Amino acid sequence: MTLTRAILPLALVLAMALWGFTALRLLPWAQWPALPWQVDAMSVPQILLSYGAMPRGAIALLAGAALGLAGALMQAVLRNPLADPTTLGTAAGAQLALVAATIFTPGLLVTSHLPVAFAGSALTTVLVIWLGARRDFAPVTVTIAGLLVGLMAAAIATALTLSQGHYLLSLIMWNGGALTQTDWRGVWRLAACLVPAVILAAVLARPLMALSLGDAQARALGVRLAGLRGATLVLAVALSALVSAELGLIGFVGLAAPALARSLGARSPLQRLMLAPIAGAVILSLADGVLMATASLGGPSLPTGALTGLIGGPLLLWLLPRMTAQVPGRVEQGVQTAGRARQPGRVIGSLALVTLALVLGLLLLGRGPAGWGLVPSALWADFLPLRATALLAAMSAGALLAMAGAVLQRLTANPMAAPEVLGVTGGAALGYAAVVFLLAAPGIMALALGAATGGALALTGLAAYALRHDMAPARLLLAGLAIGALASAVLAAIMASDDRRAWVVLGWMSGTTAQVTPATALALAGLALGILTLLLLAARWLEIMPLGSAVGQALGLPLIWARLALVLLAGLATGAATLLVGPVSFVGLMAPHLARSLGLMRPHHALCGSAVIGAALMGLATFGTRTLSYPYDLPLGLMATLIGAPWLFILLLRK
Amino acid sequence: MPLFSVSSVTYDVPGRRLIEGLTLEIPQGGVTALLGCNGSGKSTLLRLLAGQTRPTAGRITYDGRDLADWPIRALARDLAYLPQTTPPAEGMRLQELVALGRYPWRGALGRLRPEDHAAVARAIARCGLSGMTDRLVDTMSGGERQRGWIAMMLAQGARTLLLDEPTSALDIAHQVEVLGLVQTMCRAEGMSAVVVLHDINMAARYCDHVVALTGGQLLLQGPIQTLMQPAALSRIYGLPMQVIHNGGQTLAHPC
Repeated sequence: MTLTRAILPLALVLAMALWGFTALRLLPWAQWPALPWQVDAMSVPQILLSYGAMPRGAIALLAGAALGLAGALMQAVLRNPLADPTTLGTAAGAQLALVAATIFTPGLLVTSHLPVAFAGSALTTVLVIWLGARRDFAPVTVTIAGLLVGLMAAAIATALTLSQGHYLLSLIMWNGGALTQTDWRGVWRLAACLVPAVILAAVLARPLMALSLGDAQARALGVRLAGLRGATLVLAVALSALVSAELGLIGFVGLAAPALARSLGARSPLQRLMLAPIAGAVILSLADGVLMATASLGGPSLPTGALTGLIGGPLLLWLLPRMTAQVPGRVEQGVQTAGRARQPGRVIGSLALVTLALVLGLLLLGRGPAGWGLVPSALWADFLPLRATALLAAMSAGALLAMAGAVLQRLTANPMAAPEVLGVTGGAALGYAAVVFLLAAPGIMALALGAATGGALALTGLAAYALRHDMAPARLLLAGLAIGALASAVLAAIMASDDRRAWVVLGWMSGTTAQVTPATALALAGLALGILTLLLLAARWLEIMPLGSAVGQALGLPLIWARLALVLLAGLATGAATLLVGPVSFVGLMAPHLARSLGLMRPHHALCGSAVIGAALMGLATFGTRTLSYPYDLPLGLMATLIGAPWLFILLLRK
Repeated sequence: MPLFSVSSVTYDVPGRRLIEGLTLEIPQGGVTALLGCNGSGKSTLLRLLAGQTRPTAGRITYDGRDLADWPIRALARDLAYLPQTTPPAEGMRLQELVALGRYPWRGALGRLRPEDHAAVARAIARCGLSGMTDRLVDTMSGGERQRGWIAMMLAQGARTLLLDEPTSALDIAHQVEVLGLVQTMCRAEGMSAVVVLHDINMAARYCDHVVALTGGQLLLQGPIQTLMQPAALSRIYGLPMQVIHNGGQTLAHPC
């Protein structure tokens, strides 16, 4: 007990020692400038110390405190131990807004980044909360929605970055969350906001305590719920946006700080709201201290946000098994039942026909120098093989993603499950990046192998983790997200390394069909058919799975192995499709929902329907990529995301 | 041979012991009521009997064979379990839900044969749901849905039914209906059932044997008549109870 109490002071001492070590290596104590500083009379190392290292140490403490407080506020108001600016999409919203503003209205950013960052954060957070409200704020669903919205915002931001490449190197640095300071202004701005925020949080503590009993009880105690929720969230989002605007993406401190406060014995909301900022300050200072010390010893200079992201993934995994006691035990309800098709076979048949017609249309229709039109028959021999290859590959990838989504949604009985959340795509991206950086001139096979290995490793880690915890579906999703967060943190660090090769990775991440050979396309199509066959054989499992593990076990289903087999199939499908489409596409989320809304309910109908719809969607996306900004091709993954993003909103809007 | 024989079973969850050194036997045939106040370990015991979880220490045999030695599908053909809250069977027709009861027989790939379809139809008819085979389960009333799930258990062809508070969400008419169905099946077809119940009078009316727990330990086991004594009842619920005999019926209520 005494040891746990000593953790915070000890960590603080360690952080200060690290900072002191760096500072003293920069400049011996005897030469430190005396107060008041006179810049004109100072040597360069003296200036580096007083206007670089010192404000950096201070801003680490302040930003950590702000993030810790934001996380504690979000967790209290949502009664969700997984809420924080990263998992609710708040930080990604700020990122997207800042990227968009830099490109379209740079004038807005002249005076301050804060209003833009705040607007973006507020928008994504409101979206996530809105979705959460429709699902009774069930923690796992809110977290998944938040991370999905975050992924979407990040994907759009990446696409924008790519489209305007060279202007935005600074933004990529920003994405990594570097704490480097050149003066004290940032420190004063943060401090000026943090003090009133702490006071406000203390005022909110008592109503938040009432809220911890649940909505109905809180209302019965006379708490105005809407006002309380609104005020708390605005405060939390403002704090997060403040840090985003000053420093960039610093993930997971808001998750770690309240968790640390809890494990130190802070039980009431007031205790947590006051202890979490302290814990946050210590965590971020420690992380930054480690990086500063490494850099001063000649090691690589990494952005701090990348390191906190690295800590964040394992932290989520560590938190999950400990969560059961804190999460209100409610069933995560599915989306409301749509009507069931009377003749599902006929529905699938018509879907297939429509898709076939689409294929013909997409093959022939296009945009040329003379405007829109059909490909003249004289050019068929030149055009059609190329188009058919791209189309076949893209449609197979769409079908693969859609099947993975359909399986995951059934397996977890959670309508928000999607291949993006399995962490497979993140792992594949890491593998791809590793090949790009390790080999001098990697060929397509080496790249494919790298991505596949990365995806497989992520999947193995996921399966190993999930097996230990009986493969409980909600845990599985969150573990996948944690792996994804880990991967994206490493990627952010790579991007921030200011290396030309980073652009190769960035380009692949938005997806392209340009390099597909007919052999690859055929292999993908074969894989799609093979996986569909295997899944159809497992249809009875998929029918029992959504009924929960008690029923499954009572019926004699080999639960662990069935889940493992299905996860592996979904992972394989996702990994293969990712090679082509890039990590984020939302087709896997969309297609199963469309199939449901057409009334395809039984597993084999839903699988076939989803596969056909996924293929059609991705086919449409290829059409978009080559026509929207003719004569230039847009990235395929970006196109799919742009189709998928509105779908997320429709999902949000539906009651 | 007893149906279940539980010998010195202990079950722990992190930080807490839910069942401690429990030894008891549940006889073949008839309905056994599993009673006890909240947190006494009833549901945990039922989950242990169903093989859903393994005891931390001790041994449970079913039909003379250690539960751990039963292959999972063989067990499901013999023993059916219904959890306390049944999951929403979204978008599923009654017929399809009940047909899932044939999984233990046919596995993931085997086609349903005529005898499977017959078993499904018989189970649905036994539960009085014949007119509803095409209804979506989530549009059925609470009592109908509960009978639908029991029909799935019957379609499993099991000799033993384990039901966790099957009547907790039902009105009195549906409670009578569900428990009456279980009783008839046990009496007429020699099946056995273990039912977690809260209502002592329902237990007295529909059950043949009783097992009562308190704090994870055995309080009472025997024929149902041993339950309906003021002393026994007040030991179970920690409350003075009164027993009234009224024309062949025995009723208990708090003093």
